[in-house]
Amino acid sequence: MFHWLEKNPFFFAVGVFLVIAYAGVVTILPDFMESARPVTGTKPYTVLELAGRQIYIKDSCNACHSQLVRPFKSETDRYGMYSLSGEYAYDRPFLWGSKRTGPDLMRVGNYRTTDWHEYHMLAPQSVVPGSIMPAYKHMFKNNTDIETAYAEALTVKKVFNVPYDQPDMPKLGTYDEAKKALMEEAALIVADMKDPEVKEAFKRGEIKEIVAIIAYLNSLK
Amino acid sequence: MNMETIRELQAYGYIFFTIFLAVILYSYLYHLYKAEKKGTRNYEQYSNIALHDNLDDAPVESRTPSNKEKE
Amino acid sequence: MQANHALNYDYSVAKCFTYATILFGIIGMLIGVVIAYQMAFPDLNYLAGEYGTFGRLRPLHTSGVIFGFLLSGIFATWYYVGQRVLKVSMAESPFLMIVGRLHFWIYMITILAAVVTLFMGIGTSKEYAELEWPLDIAVVVLWVLWGISIFGLIGIRREKTLYISMWYYIATFLGVAMLYLFNNMEVPTYFVAGMGKWYHSVSMYAGTNDAMVQWWYGHNAVAFVFTVPIIAMIYYFLPKESGQPVFSYKLSLLSFWGLMFVYLWAGGHHLLYSTVPDWVQTMGSIFSIILILPSWGSAINMLLTMKGQWGQLKENPLIKFMIFASTFYMLSTLEGPIQAIKSVNALAHFTDWIPGHVHDGTLGWVGFMTMAALYHMAPRMYKRELYSKKLMESQFWIQTTGIVMYFSSMWIAGITQGMMWRATDQYGNLAYSFIDTVTVLIPYYALRATGGLLYLIGFFMFAYNLYKTMTVSKAIEREPQNASPMAA
Repeated sequence: MFHWLEKNPFFFAVGVFLVIAYAGVVTILPDFMESARPVTGTKPYTVLELAGRQIYIKDSCNACHSQLVRPFKSETDRYGMYSLSGEYAYDRPFLWGSKRTGPDLMRVGNYRTTDWHEYHMLAPQSVVPGSIMPAYKHMFKNNTDIETAYAEALTVKKVFNVPYDQPDMPKLGTYDEAKKALMEEAALIVADMKDPEVKEAFKRGEIKEIVAIIAYLNSLK
Repeated sequence: MNMETIRELQAYGYIFFTIFLAVILYSYLYHLYKAEKKGTRNYEQYSNIALHDNLDDAPVESRTPSNKEKE
Repeated sequence: MQANHALNYDYSVAKCFTYATILFGIIGMLIGVVIAYQMAFPDLNYLAGEYGTFGRLRPLHTSGVIFGFLLSGIFATWYYVGQRVLKVSMAESPFLMIVGRLHFWIYMITILAAVVTLFMGIGTSKEYAELEWPLDIAVVVLWVLWGISIFGLIGIRREKTLYISMWYYIATFLGVAMLYLFNNMEVPTYFVAGMGKWYHSVSMYAGTNDAMVQWWYGHNAVAFVFTVPIIAMIYYFLPKESGQPVFSYKLSLLSFWGLMFVYLWAGGHHLLYSTVPDWVQTMGSIFSIILILPSWGSAINMLLTMKGQWGQLKENPLIKFMIFASTFYMLSTLEGPIQAIKSVNALAHFTDWIPGHVHDGTLGWVGFMTMAALYHMAPRMYKRELYSKKLMESQFWIQTTGIVMYFSSMWIAGITQGMMWRATDQYGNLAYSFIDTVTVLIPYYALRATGGLLYLIGFFMFAYNLYKTMTVSKAIEREPQNASPMAA
């Protein structure tokens, strides 16, 4: 048998493939079937939060910040309740990260506020002396891409049955409805902010990236 | 299928694999040495595939017998 | 063999990929050095506006070195080694020549597009799989072309038996194909919603499932990109350069199956302390430790190949690069399983020890082996002797110093950080705020970045040496059998 495999590249390749595929099936698939059910109270992201999440991904915040509190006392003391699988049910993609150059952000919404984030994004060292995080000034200049965020929400609703528009769940509706709800949500955040240009732009109907990312960070609880 | 059955199957998958792994690798080892002892195959000569790899070097084992006759 | 007399191996595709290796090596490592210095000196984040921040550059660095530098290195050696161990020239098949050229150009376009899109912040955030769906499709196309090239060449081979390097190249092809496809399953949002950016997509998997697929990919991509093809290289280049047959060909065959069997089972160690059942996590740790055996099987086999020939280590810098690479392979395959032990993982996860471990393997093992392979290929492809032995010697020592600085500083930084996160005072309260654990690491970050800089300088020396070899070095009349000719 072995001799034959060594002489037949095709069956050799099939053999290698079977060996590696079998490992994948047995190690991954069972956990996959136990598909993470949402924990009670977990809700899908609103369109503004989703837009903020896309900005989080665009600037690779997950390169330095994790979103996974492990079940150790030192971590629960620092960041709050350890993470449950079901809390991530609406995260596509997941943003656990693999490195904590900065602190975990899984529950940052519990202990940071809009104005703290505003100062921090503009000049991290002004609120955290010694911080090595770069400032993200361009978030105050760039506009949020609402259409793509809405497209993502609609896609997950249609394709993966994410429960938008259901009782006690965020409304999505048509694009115009979603846009209206989003402006109301953004107005609350802009009201808490100081930056005159962001406020000015909001009056013109533009939502800067900083507004969306703060909405997202505030939603992490 | 409930989760417990799946977990049980997974455990069997692991056990099967571990036994399979041990059997295959040991019998392969046995095969390698037996083939050499009986003289059917000389595995060590295959190292020469890398050492004599000019286009006009004779292949260690030619693919078609006709090639050998030509030489 | 009269008919084949005028026939030669055709290295045109291998040459193209050699240039790509150098180009993307410089881009990827340069960005790596920049982001390493950014961690010590945050002001460096503002060199290029929003395009120069750590967040934008980090995926560029990882993708640049993995899919730019390393992958083109793998392709370059494949288009060289493949022909030679199968004893068939690509020139014998016009079809394979076209496939090879097409493979190169599609690859170049894809990677350049990847560089541009990552600068713009277009990506999916999944580590080492950041590219959006249009580029994913391009990657699949170029991978299929590579497959056609591999199996096409095998189809017209003269050597009946596949050399061990071929086994490893085939395994690379299959493994990456499977992993990449499953991890990049995504739904383009534009085609469902009819609005927004056309290239945006959303992952097919959510939350924990997405994490499991990602780390199944992340762990095994290391196997099939950083380990398997590099073993393919060393099994060809070390025996060829030294003129010594592999110490035990049987051991190399056995290690191959051992590695194939065990590597994918060790993936569970990325899921330690998650919701996966305890026994699965424990199995992950156990298999990680078993994995030492096949890894060391190959590495020791390489070291023993030099048995009785250790003098070559002094005379030939190429042998030095390769032996050092396999020593580092042994080190990082020992370090990995140690980190997979649950109690060690609790400390090391999320710290700088992890990038430290990765760079042991990539700088020492992958980088050195790839450069040694290209050095060996150059005199044969360009029919000129290597430009300068002295330059190679100093490159070796500069880069070795760089690697040592890199991993020692990251070991200390990682363990310091892990200990400080969990330290408590006498009342059981946390002893340090998070920022304390950051500021204490800054000297180590500076040291690490300097180590990286030394490595980059060495890489420039490598590029210069090859450039001179290609252009002005002394021509050689016939191809050297073993040791590569080099000018002092």
